Amino acid sequence: MDQFLLIALNGLTLGAVYFLVASGLTLIFGLMRVITMAHGTSYLLGGYLGYVVARETGNWFLGALGGAVAVGILGLLIHQLLIRRFQDDDMRVALITLGVSLIGTDLMLATFGGTATQVPLPPELQIGLELPGIGQYPLIRLLILAVSIAVGVGLWLFVNRTRFGSIVRAGVDDSQMTSATGINVRVVFALIFVLGSALAGFAGVVGGTLFPLLPGQDGTYLLFSLVVVIVGGMGSIPGAAIGAALVGLISQFSLVFAPTYSLVLTFALMVVVLAFRPQGILGRRTATA
Amino acid sequence: MSILTKPTDSGLVEPLPVGTPQKSTWQRYRWILWVVVLGAALAFPYVVDRPRFWIPNIGIKSLWLGTIAMSLVFLNRYVGLLSLAQMTLAGIAAYGVGYMVVTLDQSVFLAVPVGILVGTVAGFLVALIAARTKAIYFLMITLAIGQVVYSFASQSIEVTNARRGLAPIPRPDLGVVDFAQLHIFYYGALAAAVLCYLLCRYVAATSFGLALQGIRDSPERMSALGYNVNRYRIAAMTFTAFIASIGGVIMVFDRAQVDPDVVSLSSTLDILVVAVIGGVGSLGGVFVGGIVLTLLDNFAQNVTERYMTLTGLVFIVVLLFAPTGLAGVGKQVVRALSTRRRAPQAPTAPDVPTPPGITDPSNERKQQ
Repeated sequence: MDQFLLIALNGLTLGAVYFLVASGLTLIFGLMRVITMAHGTSYLLGGYLGYVVARETGNWFLGALGGAVAVGILGLLIHQLLIRRFQDDDMRVALITLGVSLIGTDLMLATFGGTATQVPLPPELQIGLELPGIGQYPLIRLLILAVSIAVGVGLWLFVNRTRFGSIVRAGVDDSQMTSATGINVRVVFALIFVLGSALAGFAGVVGGTLFPLLPGQDGTYLLFSLVVVIVGGMGSIPGAAIGAALVGLISQFSLVFAPTYSLVLTFALMVVVLAFRPQGILGRRTATA
Repeated sequence: MSILTKPTDSGLVEPLPVGTPQKSTWQRYRWILWVVVLGAALAFPYVVDRPRFWIPNIGIKSLWLGTIAMSLVFLNRYVGLLSLAQMTLAGIAAYGVGYMVVTLDQSVFLAVPVGILVGTVAGFLVALIAARTKAIYFLMITLAIGQVVYSFASQSIEVTNARRGLAPIPRPDLGVVDFAQLHIFYYGALAAAVLCYLLCRYVAATSFGLALQGIRDSPERMSALGYNVNRYRIAAMTFTAFIASIGGVIMVFDRAQVDPDVVSLSSTLDILVVAVIGGVGSLGGVFVGGIVLTLLDNFAQNVTERYMTLTGLVFIVVLLFAPTGLAGVGKQVVRALSTRRRAPQAPTAPDVPTPPGITDPSNERKQQ
C-alpha cells in the first residue's frame, strides 16, 4: 500500500511537470490553432538557461525567472520572424518549427555538451516531508505539484474569466471582426505565443530541478506534451491536466511493474483514447479532428 | 471543403478538356530529362573519383532516403496526409530483415519478403489508428507512433537487441548477381528505386489513385458518392508503407546492421527534410533531396561542425521562400492555405462537381 501511494504521488508530480510543458502547447494551440514543434526545445533551453542563472547567482528563483523570460523572448522572435506570416497555415507552422527544433537541438548540444546537468536547488528546500502512509517525501516535489496546480487554475481563469482571455477567444473565432472592434489581434497572438513559450521555459527549469537535463530531452518532452494534449483534448487546459496526470501515473506505474514497456504503455493510452474519442477526453469536436 | 462553401477559387472553374490533357512543351520533352538523369545515375559509379566513398555515402544512401521520402510525398500529394511515420515503417521492415537474418539465421530470400511484409502490415496497423484523423492531428499522431516504436526498439532486448541492434546483416551473394560488390548493390538499389517510382506513378493513375485524389480534395463529396473514405485512406497508407519498406530493405543492407537510430526522431526529420528540400514538382524530386542531404551530411563538416544547424536552416529557408516549388509538402501547404486564407493560391481543387474517376483540373497540374 505504501508503495502504491508512493508511486501514485511520483506519478502525479511527474504529471505536474508534463502539465507545465503541455499547458503552454495547448494554450498556443487552443487560441491560435497552430502547433509549435519547437516546444520541447523551449523546455530544454529553459532548463539549461535556468541552470546557468541559478549556478551563477545561487538563487533558484532567479534561475526560474531567467529561464522563463529568456525563452519567452525567444518565442517572441520565433513568432514575429517565422510564424506570424503563416498564422493561418498550421501545417507550415508545424514544419517550420520542426526546423527550429532541429537547429535548437544541435546548438544546445554544441553549447551545453552531452553530459547531464541539474538545476541546483537551495538547501533549505532539499528536505523531506513526513507524509501519512508514505513516510519521507521530498518537499520540492510537493511544491512543484502545488505550483503546477496554481498555474493550471490561473491559466484557466485567465482564458475564461478575464477580459484579455475573451479578446483572445474572440480573435480565434473571427480575427477580422475582432480587429474591426479596435483590438490589435496580432499583438494578442504574439503575447499568447510568448506566454506559451515562457511556460515551457519555466517548465524546463522545474523539470531540470527534478530530473537531469540531457540532449534528446527536447524530443522527449515535445512528444510527451503532444501525447498529453492529444489525450486531454487539444486546446483544453483542464484536458491537459487530466492528460498529464494520466501520462505521469501510467509511466510511473509501468516503470515499476513493466519497466521495458513503460513508454509503449504511455503511448498505448493515446491509442486507446484516440480509438474512442478522436478529439481527446475534453476536446471540442472540430472539423479537423 | 463542403459543397456549401463559397467558391473562393471561382477563377479556376473554367472547364479543361476532360480526359485529354493539354501537353505543354515541357511535358513533351520531359523524356529527354529522364534519359539524362537515368544516364547519369547509371554512369555514376564509374565517373566518381573515389567510388568506395561516393557509391555508398552519396549514391546508395540517396536512393533509400529518396525511396522512403517518396512514400511520404505520395501520401501527401495524392491523399493529402503528411505522415511522419514513414521512416518508422522503413525501420520496422529493416528490423524484420535483421531479425530473420541475425536472430533466426534465415536466408535473405526469405528475409527480404518477410521484412517488406512486416513493414507493410505495420503500416496497415498505423493506418488503422491514424486514418481517423487528418492534417495537424495526423502529423502529431504519426510522430508519436514513431516514438513508440523508437522506445520499443531501444528497450526490447528479445526482439530488437535494444541499443546494440541487430548485426551483421551482410549483403548477399546470389551467385548470378553479387550484391556484396558495391556497384552491383548500387544498381540493385537504383532498379528498386526506379520501380518504386513507376509503381507510384501507376497507382496514382489507376481509378484507385484518382479516388484518393478525390478524397484528398473533398472527402465529404466522395463519401456522399459512396466511397468509404476511411478505407481508401488506410489502403493508401498501406501502399506507401510497402514503398517505405522497400527503402528500408535497401537501407538495412547498406548499413549492414539495424539499430534504434534508424527509427529515431532525427532519422524521421531527415526524411522530412529530403521530401521538403527535394520536392521540385514531382515524385522523382525526392532523389534530388536525398542527394542534397547526403552531400550536406558528408561535406558540410569541412565547412562547419554544425551540420544539423545547416540542414535546419536550409529546411526553414525552403519552407519560407519556396513553398510552391516543393513537391508534396508544398502542395499540402498550398491546400491548407487555400482552405483558410482569403486569397486563392495555386489552383487547388475547385469546388465544381467533377465526377470521380475522371481527370479533374487539379490532376493536370499534378502531371508536371
